[in-house]
Amino acid sequence: MRHRVTPWLFLSPFLLLFTVFYLTPVGYAVYLSLFIKKRVGFGPAKDVFGGLTNYVRALQDTDFLRSLANIGLFAVVQIPIMLIVAIAVAIVLDSVKGRAQRFFRTVFYLPYTIPTVIAGLLWGYLYSRNLSPLNQFLTATGRDPLDLLSSTVVLWSVANIVTWTWTGYNMITLYAALQNVPHDIYEAARIDGADGWNLVRRVKLPLLRPTILLTVIFSIIGTMQVFSEPFVLRPLGYVPDNITPNTYIYLAASRDVQYAYAAAMAILIALVTFLFSGIFLRYARLGDNT
Amino acid sequence: MRKGLIVSLALFTALSTVTAQSYQEPTLPKISGNTTLEVWSWVPNLDKTVKEFEKLYPNVKVKVTNLGGGPQTYTKLNTALKAGSGAPDVAQVEYGFLPSFIDTGGLVDLTKYGANASKNLFVPWTWGQVSPDGKAVYAVPQDTGPFAMVYRKDIFDKYKLKVPTTWDEYAKTAEQLDKASGGKVKMGNFYTTFAPWFIALAWADGGQFFKRQGDSWVQTLDNPSSKKVLNYWNGLIKKGYVGTLPAFSADYWNAAAAGQVATNFEAAWGPGGYASSMQGKSGGNWRVAPLPQWKAGGSASGNWGGSSMVVTTQSKNPAAAAAFALWLNASKTAVETNFKGAGLFPAARAGLKLPALNDKTSPPIKFFGGQNINAVYAKASEGVNVNFQWAPWYPAVDANFSKQIDAMVKGRLTPDQALAAWQKESLDAARKDGYTVR
Repeated sequence: MRHRVTPWLFLSPFLLLFTVFYLTPVGYAVYLSLFIKKRVGFGPAKDVFGGLTNYVRALQDTDFLRSLANIGLFAVVQIPIMLIVAIAVAIVLDSVKGRAQRFFRTVFYLPYTIPTVIAGLLWGYLYSRNLSPLNQFLTATGRDPLDLLSSTVVLWSVANIVTWTWTGYNMITLYAALQNVPHDIYEAARIDGADGWNLVRRVKLPLLRPTILLTVIFSIIGTMQVFSEPFVLRPLGYVPDNITPNTYIYLAASRDVQYAYAAAMAILIALVTFLFSGIFLRYARLGDNT
Repeated sequence: MRKGLIVSLALFTALSTVTAQSYQEPTLPKISGNTTLEVWSWVPNLDKTVKEFEKLYPNVKVKVTNLGGGPQTYTKLNTALKAGSGAPDVAQVEYGFLPSFIDTGGLVDLTKYGANASKNLFVPWTWGQVSPDGKAVYAVPQDTGPFAMVYRKDIFDKYKLKVPTTWDEYAKTAEQLDKASGGKVKMGNFYTTFAPWFIALAWADGGQFFKRQGDSWVQTLDNPSSKKVLNYWNGLIKKGYVGTLPAFSADYWNAAAAGQVATNFEAAWGPGGYASSMQGKSGGNWRVAPLPQWKAGGSASGNWGGSSMVVTTQSKNPAAAAAFALWLNASKTAVETNFKGAGLFPAARAGLKLPALNDKTSPPIKFFGGQNINAVYAKASEGVNVNFQWAPWYPAVDANFSKQIDAMVKGRLTPDQALAAWQKESLDAARKDGYTVR
């Protein structure tokens, strides 16, 4: 009997915290998402059980679907650009030695250390119609200023901030992986005649593969959660509510007081993220076997 | 000359004594027992103002939490009301957002504490705001934002323009200014992401956006005044006479200080923001004039912003909370301190006659060239349409406005189409939220 109890005793601190801070909130969100508001006359709304009504509503909500399309497009464009730059910089830094390496490593990593909200404010200034140095230069040289906060391009202005912030972070992850590669592998490769581009393509990139997969997964999850950047830019112009799923959900809950509907959308987002990460992992593993 | 000065000084002193004496103070109840009131507000320096209340009621402690204002403030209050605990005794809510809080069922009907007896202490239209059904009273009016025109006197002088008194004159002046300045100076600036700014302009024309009817609501965002006002402004924007810089943005303050914007329409709390945000640049060049009229000779105005103080059902001592809310917004001490310390333009009638409103040493009045700007705003306050109502789903209406106006400014929608889309999408949102509305 004692043998059955002991492991549970050791697990209990984890299980307790896991239940209180993870399972309960998720469970509560699921529970909450099943209710709808019912109103009679002018009195306060009553929450009544609505089954999957909120989910059906979300799947028919063109604004919500648009936010998913936005973030999908964002992921397809932004993640490859960010990671290709990060890989390139990591490989270059790995082959440079000395003070230059330390200097550039710090410079590239620096944006990640700046809080997102501050970064958003800084970029908001650089994007502004009149005050931006870029626009002042354009106006001074007789050209029209760019409206980088216009609702049609603001998604890409956000992508730019995200890339600026996270490239350095991914670069450091990849760079650390490269530093862990034993140098005899490179020597062996050199003896075999691999040099320059061949060393990168045939040795370094294959060795980086697990780390690249990791950064892709983290980037997919991170992209689904983009919130602070567009949120900080909102007071500076018209940034659509549904620019990303998270801004849309946040506003539904906090501004429109539709907690149940917001919970349903949040759960759908979690499922989508899970699905995409799963598909990607599976696809990547299949690639491993060939 | 000197004699005249002395006479007018004496007259001024006499007058101010009279007004001081005739200040109508609220009738405050006795509060028995020791109690602590928690207050949520974003009024600067409120923690100092409440000390006077504690002097009056030594058995009451007032704890002020400054939430800074903005949407997050309402999120916090909504969450606390929804959760059933954690809400303060008294909280600040803007008029437009009041119905959405009434709708949560978390606000105390103040008629139980004799609120109706205070009705005449406040500017008439504000009472319609805190008592939407004319029976229950859900808040005490705090401050208001009657609308007037701010303008750059130096620009008007430079281009020899006359201050417009009608919208017709305003459009003509805009054209003259555009020609005279070679398009460098815009006549005005349309705040494309601030629905209440636009609503105030339509409000001044008698526009009605929401109405209770029997057991349901009627929403008319595309009312005739809306259409008239939006078509008018879209015309000015298209011709390039009017800019579209976002309100309260660094871009706007910079343009206004640099003399690129000749006029704008601001609420009574606006001049304080002008003085502080432009950091003294263009100081002394600004003036305030009454809102231009659609019919010559009129004096109609609208309102942008302004707040009220609610008492929540979670309060352990709602009678004391109600007394505090009344004191804070009607007593001379509090109204005067709130005006001086925070620029709150009083909702209390007697407050509008306070000499402090024309204190020449205050930054807004200095910024506006020593003009008695609050006299203009007090006059505007009298012209605000009394029957204006908001709806509990107003937050969604507010947000959708920016979307439609963005499409209009980009030329994808005509003003009428933008208003029709605003009406339709807001109606859909309200219905999905369970409201019976047409």
